[in-house]
Amino acid sequence: MRDDVRVAVLYGFGINCDHETKAVFELVGATAERVHVNELVNGNIDLAAYDIMAVPGGFSFGDHLGSGRLLGNRLRFTLRDSLKAFVEAKKPIIGICNGFQVLVKTGLLPGPDGHEPDFLQRASLTLNDSGRYEDRWVTLEFDPDSPCIWTKGMVRMECPVRHGEGKFVMPHEADIAALEAGHRVAVRYVDSTDPVGMHRTDPLPYPVSPNGSMHNIAGVCDASGLVFGLMPHPEAIYAAWLHPEHTGGHAPAGHGDALEGWEGEGLQLFRNAVDHVRAQR
Amino acid sequence: MKDVRGNVVRRQLLADHGLEVGEVRSICGYLISSDTPTEAIEARSDDLFVDPIIEHGLTNRLALASDLFPTAPDAVVTIGFKPGVTDNPGKAALDGYTTLFPEDSDAAIATYITYVFYDLPPTCSVDWLASTLHNGLIERALVADAEACSSGAWPELAFPTPPAQTFTPPKTVDLELDDDALITLSEQGLLALNLTEMKAIRDHYRRPEVQDARRAEGLPPNAPTDVELECLAQTWSEHCKHKIFASKIHHVDTETGEDTVIDSIFKTHIMKPTHDMQEDVDWLLSVFHDNSGVIAWDDTYSVCMKAETHNSPSALDPYGGAMTGIVGVNRDILGTGLGARPIANTDVFCFGPPNWSGELPDNLFHPSRVLRGVHAGVRVGGNESGIPTVNGAIVFDDRYIGKPLVYCGTVGIMPRHLPDGRPSHIKTPEANDIVYMVGGRVGYDGIHGATFSSLELTEESPSSAVQIGDPITQKKMLDMLLEARDAGLISCITDNGAGGLSSSIGEMAEYTNGCEIDLATVPLKQAGLSPWEILVSESQERMTVAVQPGDQAAFEALAVLHEVEATPVARFTSSGQFHVKHGEDTVALLPIEFLHDGVPQLELEAEWVRPQPAEFVPPAHADHADLLLRMLARPNIASKEAWVRQYDHEVIAQTAIKPFVGVARDGPGDAGVIAPVHGDPHGLVISCGIAPRYSDLDAGAMAAASIDEAVRNAVCVGLDVDKMAGLDNFCWPDPIESAKTPDGRFKLAQLVRANRELERVCRAYRLPCVSGKDSMKNDYGQGENKISIPPTLLFSLFGDHPDVRFTATSDFKEAGDRIYLVGTSHDELGASEMAFMLTESGEAAGIGGRVPLLPHPEQNLAMYRQLATAIQRGAVRTAHDCSEGGVAVAVAEMCIGGRLGANVDLDGTGNGDLWGRLWGESLGRFIVAVSPEHEVTFKELMRGHRITVLGEVLDNGALHVTDGEDDVLHLEVDAMVEAWQATLALGGVHHA
Repeated sequence: MRDDVRVAVLYGFGINCDHETKAVFELVGATAERVHVNELVNGNIDLAAYDIMAVPGGFSFGDHLGSGRLLGNRLRFTLRDSLKAFVEAKKPIIGICNGFQVLVKTGLLPGPDGHEPDFLQRASLTLNDSGRYEDRWVTLEFDPDSPCIWTKGMVRMECPVRHGEGKFVMPHEADIAALEAGHRVAVRYVDSTDPVGMHRTDPLPYPVSPNGSMHNIAGVCDASGLVFGLMPHPEAIYAAWLHPEHTGGHAPAGHGDALEGWEGEGLQLFRNAVDHVRAQR
Repeated sequence: MKDVRGNVVRRQLLADHGLEVGEVRSICGYLISSDTPTEAIEARSDDLFVDPIIEHGLTNRLALASDLFPTAPDAVVTIGFKPGVTDNPGKAALDGYTTLFPEDSDAAIATYITYVFYDLPPTCSVDWLASTLHNGLIERALVADAEACSSGAWPELAFPTPPAQTFTPPKTVDLELDDDALITLSEQGLLALNLTEMKAIRDHYRRPEVQDARRAEGLPPNAPTDVELECLAQTWSEHCKHKIFASKIHHVDTETGEDTVIDSIFKTHIMKPTHDMQEDVDWLLSVFHDNSGVIAWDDTYSVCMKAETHNSPSALDPYGGAMTGIVGVNRDILGTGLGARPIANTDVFCFGPPNWSGELPDNLFHPSRVLRGVHAGVRVGGNESGIPTVNGAIVFDDRYIGKPLVYCGTVGIMPRHLPDGRPSHIKTPEANDIVYMVGGRVGYDGIHGATFSSLELTEESPSSAVQIGDPITQKKMLDMLLEARDAGLISCITDNGAGGLSSSIGEMAEYTNGCEIDLATVPLKQAGLSPWEILVSESQERMTVAVQPGDQAAFEALAVLHEVEATPVARFTSSGQFHVKHGEDTVALLPIEFLHDGVPQLELEAEWVRPQPAEFVPPAHADHADLLLRMLARPNIASKEAWVRQYDHEVIAQTAIKPFVGVARDGPGDAGVIAPVHGDPHGLVISCGIAPRYSDLDAGAMAAASIDEAVRNAVCVGLDVDKMAGLDNFCWPDPIESAKTPDGRFKLAQLVRANRELERVCRAYRLPCVSGKDSMKNDYGQGENKISIPPTLLFSLFGDHPDVRFTATSDFKEAGDRIYLVGTSHDELGASEMAFMLTESGEAAGIGGRVPLLPHPEQNLAMYRQLATAIQRGAVRTAHDCSEGGVAVAVAEMCIGGRLGANVDLDGTGNGDLWGRLWGESLGRFIVAVSPEHEVTFKELMRGHRITVLGEVLDNGALHVTDGEDDVLHLEVDAMVEAWQATLALGGVHHA
């Protein structure tokens, strides 16, 4: 049994957070590679050789025709079989920001109730209510009862959102209720002055919720908890020196010690997935 | 579902025009030209064009005529691009379409957007609505008014088919003409060449050896082809050759009696000082000759920076002009050495006042529309490219109505050595290398940009000079080329910017002394372009890359993988000739030496007479608290957060100091700090300085102030002052005396003065200028209606930061911290923001008086080094630059950032009167706050330098300023926050 955990970090077509996404997996001990989508399509590289797949943030195809739509289609129509096999092999997948949009548009998130992917779009991420793309920091809270393997043991985190189309919507309230019942709303925007565990479903005001998502949803996982996507950028707080208030000495401490006392809160998310892969062996 | 696109338009009409519209709805339209049956497309509509969760889609039926719009609206405006204009959503749609219908290779897709208005005020005409929502230069609009809406006469745009271009074979241009005819030829052909230059070209064709060489290639022996003349006009343009900076200037100073000749401002005042400094340090790797200046950052990486302006295109089409500005300067970084990766952008804009209510000259946009458009262009260009915008500024002055200034800068990083061992900052082309054009195709768009920007803006300015960028095509190209670099496949690389292939291949051909281009192989956006158009078109998203013949297959394979078009179009030779063919026919043959060095040196006159505007005399009685609120609300000082927050400033996960700081993340940042290597806190500081209004008194003082501000901003975050480099970007009104520029001698003297100060200050600061650019024709109109911008130097700085864990920001951190003024306040209120404010309101007679000066820069540098050291050691966590609005505004901003109060006593901060100490803009000053436990260390480090205790940070939520025993002002922090944030918190941003 090999010891390394191999991560495929997809890139190409306007994905642009591939370098830092590769870096954060390596900081938590994985072997990460940037893999061009076309290398998977043309068969030069086999997705099955990897233990984790990450779809990073960016502006694939310029967000035209709706964010994530065109890259989602490339995956859905040209990589369908290998993606299906990857999910069925119970390997973790993460989509961050544009990557989340891609996974939603492919139908991998929130996905069906069962564990077999059907590539049907059930939700969407659409224009922020503000009508603006913004880069601003938000406070997130994780559902402690979520099956999501990525968010285990995480309570709250501050990190930036950087999107114009992050409003999570589903056709009916009942759809959201079903997701919540399965604790698949793994992460939400919260008011940092609210006590932990206060579950608000009414929309928080802008900019506490930066986009007007239904039930303040920031990220969801599939029924297995292995496929996870979120709009905010946990990789952007891999180090405490990236926190806006680090100069004042107010950057929250991270969970581990990858950076000599300067680990940021976001790194744990990636460590969780790497640990999960190791634990399954 | 909310219709967010419609809401954005509704809010914008309210914000910019006070127009209240009940509701605006939006429809996205796709026009598909294809052989695939409509039913087949309709069946896949939800897979591509329609998001089934949030949208309704209709095929071959107008949504307006369907039950989606049960009530008739008051007005409808449909906007699409003009034929031939880059339609990025259309391109993306076609890519997605090809995924679904791979066999349908001849399809084409164009997009449009329709806005549907309900409850429109009856006074508002639909034609006016259309004019505010589209730019006729690049877009077309169709409308339906209330009557048309009630009868169902909906606008329907036809597919935008570009008119066929007719291929015109090269023509011979007879230059054996009299002087008037030569000038007419230059003007009518938009060549922007003067008489001496036209004659130099004519004389070239009189030389027997030139004629012999031309006969041998079947060219007209004694006259240029149009290809040659256009190529020379591009290469010799002010834009490309910087002829004013290279000119011989007879300079007279009426104050001192000096009468001298300066042989090239650039060589004398910019290049020479930097080359002198290069002898003292080992980190200046590449200066001036490449697309950006390169410095060694550590043993593994070097960093480079370049800033450009895109003023004329931004005046005509703010959105497209600014977007091509930012993605263009990104390509300068990619084209540096053997290719650098862009990692940070900077944007500095100069606009007319956004609330301008005066007259607007013909053909000029309102400043608020320029601001919106430029902002949107830079936002899309930067964000979609995945490059964080870490620093910038927005400056307002009435005169920028005539020509907005759009400065775009980019920082890049590269490994010092490639895997194959070559130093990455040195290009290694050889004769017989194959030259590829990579990225976009050549089109009719972008012809004559370089020569056009060398002319003043008029009502007849050509639309072909305007383009829209395509960041995704460029991003794919960037991914591909950096991989090609690391694989050792690139021997030479440069950007296709001004002058197109004629400049990019022409410049690279200097290395091997020759090239041979075949224009027939160049991929075109549309057939029928003539040879000269192919050669000089500035169509975007193109790089020119040289590859050794043995590496061609690997290079082309990478292009296929990344879906990037890469076409061999030329090869390097050592023939001494810039040899251009179209198929078998030679269409241009120009000696490399003549092309690059044949332009005659301009000889110009400069005469300095000190401007004497009315003196600024402060009013006898003033409410300084009220003045502070008014100052905080001035557009030049007010928070730009609503705009800047729309830039991604932290992609790449490296930004340690962001544009906004403090507890609410809304206090002003002084400089950007990045730690570009993941996991390593070694940092890089990026800052800028700009002070154009000081030119009203002394352009030399303006230059000194700009440089000092850039350095101070960087010192505030802990820059290593012993490793910093600068970029000088001059934007000037035309300084050549002529009938249309009667004050040319004075404007040129301003340029001389600015450059002399630049040299003096940069030498004192040991601050080498490693790259720069000038834009010298920033005027609008002629005669009495002429508007000339204030002479403006943007000074950008990039430098080393030893450890980003130890930085300072401007926000007050803790109650009890002690506040110090570092530096001395003088009575320097001339051309200050306060002087302008009170003059504009009629409370003062003028802005004249003592402009801030920098008499002893060596002493400043010593002080800056100590302050930076205190920050790097963690002794100072709070520092803010003191500039526009003086101590009062600086302290107010620090209270705002920390949401903390302060007591400040101005007594002892300088020898001037209260106005000077409170509002004066003396250079070399900072406000810092130091926690009690670090005070001893701080004072120790600052020994020998002027520091003055101002007071203490308080948690009482109010700023209280005294002057000894006298109360000066008292203000609640909340009131300051409101005043500072309201002015520029404009509504949603839109571009159709």
